[in-house]
Amino acid sequence: MHEPPKEPVKYVEANLYLPYRYVAGDYRARFFAAMKRKKFLGSRCSKTGKVFVSPLVNSPESFAPATEFVELEGRGIVTTFCIVNIPVIGRDLQLPYVAASVALDGADISIFGAVQECQPENVHMGMRVEAVWKPDGERTGSFDDVLYFKPTGEPDAPPESYINRL
Amino acid sequence: MTKLRNVAIVGFAQMPIIAHDPHRTAQEMLYPVVRAALAQCGVERDAIDYQTAGSADYIDGRPFGFVAALDVMGTWPPRQDSHLEMDAAFAAHYAWIRMQAGECDTALVVGYGKVSEGQPERILNLQLDPYYLAPLGLGPLSTAALQASAYMARSGATDRDLAEIAARNRAAGARNPDAQVRTPASADELQGTPWAIEPLRQGYVPPIGESAVCLLLAAEGKAESMCKRPVWIGGVEQRAEMQTLGARDLTHSASTQLATERALAMAGVGKAADVDLIEMMATNPIEEMIVREAMALPARGDTKPVINPSGGPITGHPLMMTGLIRLGEAFRQLSGGADGRAVPNARRAIVHAAQGHCLQQNVVFVLGSERRWS
Repeated sequence: MHEPPKEPVKYVEANLYLPYRYVAGDYRARFFAAMKRKKFLGSRCSKTGKVFVSPLVNSPESFAPATEFVELEGRGIVTTFCIVNIPVIGRDLQLPYVAASVALDGADISIFGAVQECQPENVHMGMRVEAVWKPDGERTGSFDDVLYFKPTGEPDAPPESYINRL
Repeated sequence: MTKLRNVAIVGFAQMPIIAHDPHRTAQEMLYPVVRAALAQCGVERDAIDYQTAGSADYIDGRPFGFVAALDVMGTWPPRQDSHLEMDAAFAAHYAWIRMQAGECDTALVVGYGKVSEGQPERILNLQLDPYYLAPLGLGPLSTAALQASAYMARSGATDRDLAEIAARNRAAGARNPDAQVRTPASADELQGTPWAIEPLRQGYVPPIGESAVCLLLAAEGKAESMCKRPVWIGGVEQRAEMQTLGARDLTHSASTQLATERALAMAGVGKAADVDLIEMMATNPIEEMIVREAMALPARGDTKPVINPSGGPITGHPLMMTGLIRLGEAFRQLSGGADGRAVPNARRAIVHAAQGHCLQQNVVFVLGSERRWS
């Protein structure tokens, strides 16, 4: 019988170093460029007319190409949301905060963003919100150009206006 | 041999291999290719039962990266789907198995990857065991060079032999509009290129390349309406060897030999020399010699069958797609779509694809313009 070594090696360090440099891609580059102008860019399905934000090269639903671009203002409706009480990796947000799915006016799918400038308990489905952008001169053409969404104070949108965009 | 289901390749589309597409993501590269393959067959996405992909998350640079391809494969309504972390030729084999099981009649097989976004030598180093081999920094080119030294010592192959094989592939690649390296080069020129890793010269190995590829398979009954000249899979076999490089005889490919023998037997073809052409995934001249030997063909010199009339991986090697491109090229040859690189009267072909360092895993297809089983 072999005795186990007196001081066995228990762990082996394996540090990986794998640098990547992603291309933004044609559609994403256009989306980021629009952010600099305080617009959300979408693409329209050539078959169904649905608008996808951020823009997709094709409708994942109909599989038809989505080659027409549509510029949207950063206003929309809170559809689903949650109240976050735990720190999230890579984000320095004061707790608790609201992470919401926002159906932008003119879009057929929602995007995600934080809702601020209101108490978390006041956020609700159907609430009208608008994007708060970094000030002019500070936007770089990135997703960070939109800071968060805030309530507009308008009346709530009726459920039938967003029920298909949850 | 048991009677199996006749399954054919009915469509193939490929983005020409390039070093780096600075404008498009892997998805943006893949979508038009999938559409082109469907258009060739005159069908919409709903006509395809099953979808499968070959790609590598480490090439995508993110875990579960393969899900990003689902949107551009037409994954709605919910589809039967699978993904292999292997060259997409292995995914084609998997789709064939699903068809034999009767689970689908038609399949879409894609290979994709933005190879240029990462560092392939670093990424493929991680295929090796993380304790003894990976920490040495070995990449696929250095393990290929180890294999090359061993093979040259055993066989007597010389630097000149390597140069001549590379030159033959370069001449063929010049006739292939989808190849990445399209300038012919003589053996003298290639033998004059600097060492990449000795004994492999820069002129003997492919540059980094990326592409997007889509192949369509259909079973008998569906294939005929999707393609004028379907290319039937008569036999296929896949074999793997152990990971430990030191435990293998690197100068032979036992797995290719066994896979070839069994695929030929399934197809009812006596020997590899009986087919008209072979598309093999030899990413350097040494691999070509080893695979030729494993197929019981002379390691060097002109042969019938014609080897890699496309120019082979030496003229274009987009990781995870190189093997599927071999299937596509053989399809083009047997279905009349090989244009300036057509092998005259080609009716039967062998396709070989490999995965892993030093030909660790190999799949061999035997294809024909006639149905195997009546």
